[in-house]
Parts: sequence; structure tokens; C-alpha cells
Amino acid sequence: MSESTVRYSPRGRTRAIKSFLCQFLGHGGAQAGLVCLVFFLVLAAAPNTLVGPLQTAINATGDFLVPPSGEHLLGTDEVGRDVLNLVVHGARISLTIALLATVISLVVGTSVGITAGYYGGRVDVWLMRLTDFFFVMPSFVLALVITPVVLEVMGRGGDILGFRPSLFVIIVVIGMTSWAFVARIVRSQTLSLKERTFVDRARVVGSSNIVIMVKHILPNLLPQIAANGALVVAGAIYVETSLSFLGLGDPLQPSWGTLLALAQRAGAASAGAWWDLGAPGVCVLTVSLSFVLIGNALDDTFNPRRRVIP
Amino acid sequence: MTLLMVAILNFILFRVIPGDPSSLLLGGARISVTPEQIEAQRQSWGLDRPMFPDQVVDYLSATMQGDLGYSFKFRGRRVADLILERLPATVALVGLAQVIAILCGVMLGLYAGWRRGGAIDHITTGTSLALYSTPAFWLGMLLVVIFSTALGWLPGYGAHSPGAVSGSLDWLLDYLRHLALPVAAVALGLIGQYVVVARAAMSDVVTEDYMVTARAKGLTNGQMLMRHAFRNAMLPVVTLIALNLGYVVAGAITVEAVFAWPGIGGLTVEALNARDYPVLQGIFLLLGASIVVANLVADLAYGLLDPRVRQ
Amino acid sequence: MTNSSQDNVPLLEVDRLSVDYGLKGVSSRAIDRVSFALRAGEAVGLVGESGSGKTTTAMAIASLLSPNARVNEGEVRYRGKRLPIDDDAAMRPHRWSETSVVFQGAMNALNPVHRILKQIAEPCMLKLGMSRGEATARARELLELVGIPADRGSAYPHELSGGMRQRVMIAMALACRPSIVIGDEPTTALDVITQAQILKLLGELRSRLNLALILITHDLSVVAEACDRVMIMYAGRIVEDGTVADIFAQPKHPYTRLLIDSIPNPASGKRIIRPIPGDPPNLMNRPSGCAFHPRCPSAMAVCVTEVPSFDECGQGRVACHLHRSSQEDKVAVHA
Repeated sequence: MSESTVRYSPRGRTRAIKSFLCQFLGHGGAQAGLVCLVFFLVLAAAPNTLVGPLQTAINATGDFLVPPSGEHLLGTDEVGRDVLNLVVHGARISLTIALLATVISLVVGTSVGITAGYYGGRVDVWLMRLTDFFFVMPSFVLALVITPVVLEVMGRGGDILGFRPSLFVIIVVIGMTSWAFVARIVRSQTLSLKERTFVDRARVVGSSNIVIMVKHILPNLLPQIAANGALVVAGAIYVETSLSFLGLGDPLQPSWGTLLALAQRAGAASAGAWWDLGAPGVCVLTVSLSFVLIGNALDDTFNPRRRVIP
Repeated sequence: MTLLMVAILNFILFRVIPGDPSSLLLGGARISVTPEQIEAQRQSWGLDRPMFPDQVVDYLSATMQGDLGYSFKFRGRRVADLILERLPATVALVGLAQVIAILCGVMLGLYAGWRRGGAIDHITTGTSLALYSTPAFWLGMLLVVIFSTALGWLPGYGAHSPGAVSGSLDWLLDYLRHLALPVAAVALGLIGQYVVVARAAMSDVVTEDYMVTARAKGLTNGQMLMRHAFRNAMLPVVTLIALNLGYVVAGAITVEAVFAWPGIGGLTVEALNARDYPVLQGIFLLLGASIVVANLVADLAYGLLDPRVRQ
Repeated sequence: MTNSSQDNVPLLEVDRLSVDYGLKGVSSRAIDRVSFALRAGEAVGLVGESGSGKTTTAMAIASLLSPNARVNEGEVRYRGKRLPIDDDAAMRPHRWSETSVVFQGAMNALNPVHRILKQIAEPCMLKLGMSRGEATARARELLELVGIPADRGSAYPHELSGGMRQRVMIAMALACRPSIVIGDEPTTALDVITQAQILKLLGELRSRLNLALILITHDLSVVAEACDRVMIMYAGRIVEDGTVADIFAQPKHPYTRLLIDSIPNPASGKRIIRPIPGDPPNLMNRPSGCAFHPRCPSAMAVCVTEVPSFDECGQGRVACHLHRSSQEDKVAVHA
């Protein structure tokens, strides 16, 4: 696959991008995924203009657990807040957490993988041993024990970069525990790339190791990283939702997982308040399915193994 | 190796908590605590000795012997006992779900991959991708709303009805009725995963050259499937199933929380809420151990099935 | 089958066979009205560049075309009877009992998780109705026949060398005593010495078992060693058909001549290999007239506009405007 990405003429590159887009958008799954994703990104971008400010127990606008009606399209929750309002605000929080965690995980995974693959030897052995640990231990399990401890250390007050500390911690912990898969793929790609002539050429010209890694090897890894990035987002959403559901989220900045936790605690399920638990769940399902579909389509497009002609 | 790292991470994590574990120990009791009492506590827990190497070595050797320390919340109870007490419920839940998921998921996935592009393939793949992207606990909540609250068919809470007499047949049936919905929630999540992997494995196998050979030999479709495709397609699936033996315990935590199932998951939630770190530590160790064991099982199973990796 | 019909009807007849590959609604013709006949015990080489349709021809005969391929016209007759090559289930009794295939790269063509003895015995049990014991005995016999000690039967494919695997493949192909064996580049992945051994083995088995052999290869020297007759394919058509001796001594089609010139021949001391100029044709956009005219050193005006017919010419057949029967005199000029 890397043959097709090592192109230098601008026209060839444009053509490559065009044919990539055609093939990628040819996937029914990718189309559906992109449409859903854009929808949720719009929700996440402007929750205040769409449904007004986040409702709290104090400024709740309805009665407790009212089924969907004209006034409250998705009903209300156990303290009378409008579920639609909560879910739209939750989109912002869930997506931000997932995307930021993914960025961290991609940066860590790519750095570890590229370093291990490029330098080889002892660096490789130790970095991969570390990677193996994180590869084997699910992000959720690690986050489950790390998050409460870090929260204890930092305290729950104040906010960091506009996030409540618990959300910030969740972002960092998910990011730091879900990079192993990316690191493995990046390493194996780097191993084959560094043997190629253009790397030798750069070395002869006198480029430093860092420059070679960033300028010559990294661009060729981008397709792989993108395809896996989409899957990492789906995983991050899953972990975030699960952690929040177990009460590690922040009630003042509720993500979809936190909303589900609140619904669970209020006994929404046994009260038959399907709207209260259904709405956030459907959102989680849709968004993570979108990312899985997009990731699959990217993988399919970049993966030359699947050809129609034998 | 991994287990050692789990243990070390455990140790480091729970030492960085500010203040002193002893204050946490006594913190629950809202009475005035004298410095002497604190000192006595510190000594009895071994916290007065230097962190390294004494505490580390103590911790590791104790862990090896199955001594995981004592719970904060359930005062004085040994963590190991607490975990062992809760383990059977989780094993029942996860084991049953695994069996169901393997039977349904693997078969469906293999069939979908075999008949790739057919109607059954499209339906199965779509559904399982959706299941795969759905948190299992949310499925559990939906199941409660539908089968417990709306239809009233099955209980959606706990493991026993109040007043059930232990040991009788009724008791067992009651237990199974309580088990049904949690098992369904865990199994559905697993089915999604198994279908996706089994289908991918099978559709790779179908394009292999030896399948053309089998066709050229004049085998019927059934013979090709059973004699040549099945075993090859099962290679990655068996690995996944074995690995899952380790992961589902963790995955079931949230489901147990939904159903107040008295297993490891329930214990985790209680420990999280009470910030009962020794228990959390113990659970972490258990999960780490089960994952390591599952990895070994996966390697062994793969070796048995694939002559290429056999020594 | 009665003796009389066997005598005058060829074993296999391919009659104006055309196969299209469909890809996203666009179809391209892989082979175009290919016709030839094969007699019992005869060895025919099918030679051409990649994409010339030689493998498609063979796979169509064995009814192993990929799902996106379609037989557009023509038919294949076996002992005078039409083969249902587009009906998988109806082909089943014919498969392996009458026509078997030795695939290229036996590593992938053998199932990696089964012992080789089991794989050889499988068709004996399923097609000949042998018991497990009989089939195993037969498989051991077959292994010895191809020069592998029967005890090696308990090995898995990955434990054997490339040449050994190809021998296993041959043993497997002989399991049901077929009358035709198709070799799909059976020696391509092997080194020269092993290649020679395998070809020798195929030749011996052929005369001993009276097998008809269809050998697909891009390598004319393989054909020279193992075949009686050779057919040259270009862009989905057979362009020349003749005995090996004739074709090597006096190639008629310019393409054949260029192919022969491109064989390195250390014996003659000729060091320079002359590659054929130009690129293989694009099947989606086939050149008009004779598909070879853009690369042909002797192309004429008529070659661009008119598809040459495939006519008898001396002992063999050739599709070239240089050799049209009405222009027999031209042969001398260009030969």
C-alpha cells in the first residue's frame, strides 16, 4: 500500500486523493457514518443556540420523568430536566472527551511506534514490552483503577482547561491507555519504510533522525493512522461511557454515560422511562457505529488485499 | 511479566493517594482520632516502615500468597475472601453468556462469511456491527425496560427473589430467571464481536487458494465448508474466544451494575463508591491475572489448531 | 464410452469459447473465441504473457472461473459431450475424476492445517467411495509414485520444500485417475533444477498413465521440454498453434518469433536477450484489427483494420495477415 502513498508529483497526489475519495465515498457504510457524524458534530458545536443553556436541577423546566410530548420532545428526567437539552449538551462533552483522548492516544502511539521501529535494538525491545502490557490490558480496566486514584490526588474542585477535573482525568487516562494498538501498527510500517531508498537518500543528504522520522516516514503512515484513529475514537467512546456509568463522570458536565448513570440510579429502567435511558444510549450507539463504519471503510480503501479482480 | 507489572502498578497507584492510608482507614468514622491511634494503625498496617524495599517486597510476597490485604469498607474483611465470595456469580453470568455467544455468534458469523454478500450476511453483519458498537450495559437497561418493566416476564434486579429458600429446585429456577436478562445483555455484546470476527475470518478463507483446490476436487459446498474452511476460519475465532475469557469479566462489570448482580462487577461499583482501594486493587489484580491466563490459553489453543505454530 | 466414439472424437474440444470479466458494470473480454482440441495422451502447452487469457482458458475448462467471470459464448466438450461449465453442481461428478489441476504455488493450494496424506486421500474417499483405509493406502502409493517416501505423508505442507509440495500436488491430481491434468504454471515458483525434475516427473507419469496434459506457462522453454504441441495466446486469442518442433524451427506469427528470440540461450553463446517492445494490450481497450499490430515489426495497413482469421497453415494454424492462405506467396518474403 505504501507504494501508492510515496508519490511526489503534485498532480499524482491530487489524482491519488481524488481516487481515494471516490473509493471511500463509494462505501455505503462510510456515507451513513459521515452523515451521522456531521449531524452530531453540529449538535456538539452549538448546543446553546439549539436547545438553550444546559439545564440543571435548579432551572429544570418540567415535571419528573414526563414521557415525550410537544413541549419536551424527548421527555424529562428524574429531576425534571429536558432530556433533549441534556443529550445535545452531552454530545459536546462525549465527543470532546473521545476526540481529545484519541488525539493523545494517536500522538503517544505514533511516537512510541515510530521510535521503536526506527531505532530498533534495545529501544525497540523495551518500548514494545511496554506496548505489550498496554496491548493486553484493556483500556477500560486500567482506567477503572487509575481514574479514581488520580481523582483523589487532584481533588474534584475547580477546572482544568475548561474541563471539570474528572473529565480531564478521564481524557488523559483513556488517551494514555489506548495507544498500544496504534503503536504496534506504526512500528511494523516504520520497519518496512526505513529500508526504503528515500530514507537512505535523506540520510545521505544529512537529515537528522528526527527530521527523517517526521518529514519522511510520518507522512507515509498517515493513512494507517487515520483508519485506526477512527476505531480508537469508537473505543474511547465506549470506555468513557462505561467509566461515567460507573460514577466516574462529572454530574455538572454530564456526558451520555453520566446521563445513563443518573437514569440508572433514579431507577428509570424499572419505572419504564425508556426515553430517559433510550436517548443517550441511541446517541452512543450511533456515534460509535459511525466511527466503526468510517474506520472500516478507510481500512478497506487503503488495504490493497481486497481487489475484485483475482 | 504482565502480572508483575499489574502488581507494581497497583502498588504505585495506591501509594500516591495523598494523606495516609491510615487516615482513610479511620476517616469513615466521624470521631476524633488521637495521634496515638493513628500511630497504632500505621504500625499494624506496616506503614511505618520505609517504602522501598520493605513495603514493596512485603506487598509482592503477600500478593503471591494470595493475601490481598483488608477492605476499608467491609471493615476487617480480607479482600481475597470478598472476591472469592463474589466470583461464582460472575463466573456463572460470564460463562453462560460465553457459551451462548459462541454457539450463536460464531455460527452466524461463519455462515455470513461463507455466503458473503447474501441477504443473511447483510442482516447479520448490520445487526452485529450495531451490537458491537453498543455498550452492553445499555442493552441491559433496554432489556429491563422491555422484559421486566413493560412485559413483566423476568426479574431485572438482583439474583434471588426475597424469601427464596436456598437449595430447593424453586430456588434454582428463581436464580436462573434472575440470570436470564444479565446473561442476554453480556451475550448480545459478545455475539456482535464474534460475528464480526468469524465473518472476516471466513471471508478471508473463502478466497484462499486451497478452497479453489477443494472446489476443483469436486467437493460439495458442505464438504468444502466442513473439511477445509471451518478449521482454518476458526483459528482467529478461537484466539478471540480465549482472550475474551479474560476480558468479559471486565466487560461484565457495567452489566452487573445495571442488574445489581452480586458478582465482581457489583463489588467493583461498591468499592468505587466507597473509595475502597484495597478491594479495587484486588479486583485489578484478578482482572490482570485472568487476562494473562486467557492469553496463555489462547496461545495453547492456537498451537493445537494450527500445525504451523506447533513446535 | 464405446471404443468407436473414443477413436474419432477428441478427448476435449474447446469450441469458440469466450469469457468476460465484469468489474463494476464494465466488462472486459478475457478470452475471445478460443478453439482447440486435445487428444488422449497429448501434451499441449498454452503460452502467453500475463493477461493473455491462458489461465482463464484453463480455469474455464476446469469450471473454476471466479464469480465475476462469465462464459459468454462457446462450449467445452468432453468425449463429445458438452460440459456444464457454468453449473457448479452439475460439474461436480466430472471434477478430479476426469480433469484435475496442478496449481501454481502449492504452498497456498494445499490446506495448511491438514496432513498431506489426508489431503491426497480425500478425493479417493469422496469421489471413488473408498474406505478410509483403502484411500490411505492409495495415497501412500501415489506419494511413492511421485517420488516421496510414503512415511512423509504425516507431514504438514509447511514442513515440505517447494518441490516436494508440488510433487504432493501432482500426487493429489492423480488420485482419481483422471484423463486430463491441467498444470497451471506448476513450476513457476521453483528453482531451475527442481523445475526440471518436476517437468521430467510429469512427462514420465504422462506416458505411463496415458494422461492428456494442458500446461500453462509464460515460459517457452518449459513447453519445449514437456509438450508435443504448443498454442501461443495473445490478448485473449490463440494466435498460433503447432507442434513444438515446427514452432521452434519455423515460427509463423511475428509474436511467436519475438517470444522465441527473447529466450536466453546460453548454448548458442547468444548473450543478448531481445525483449519484445511495447506493453501488453489493455483488455478494456483492445487495439483494433490484430491486437498485436501496435507492437508488431511487420504490421501492415490491413492489420489495423481487420481481425486476422485463424487458418490452417502448414501443419498448424496461425492468425496473421502475413499467412493468409490467399497470400501464400508472402510467407517466403517474411519468413
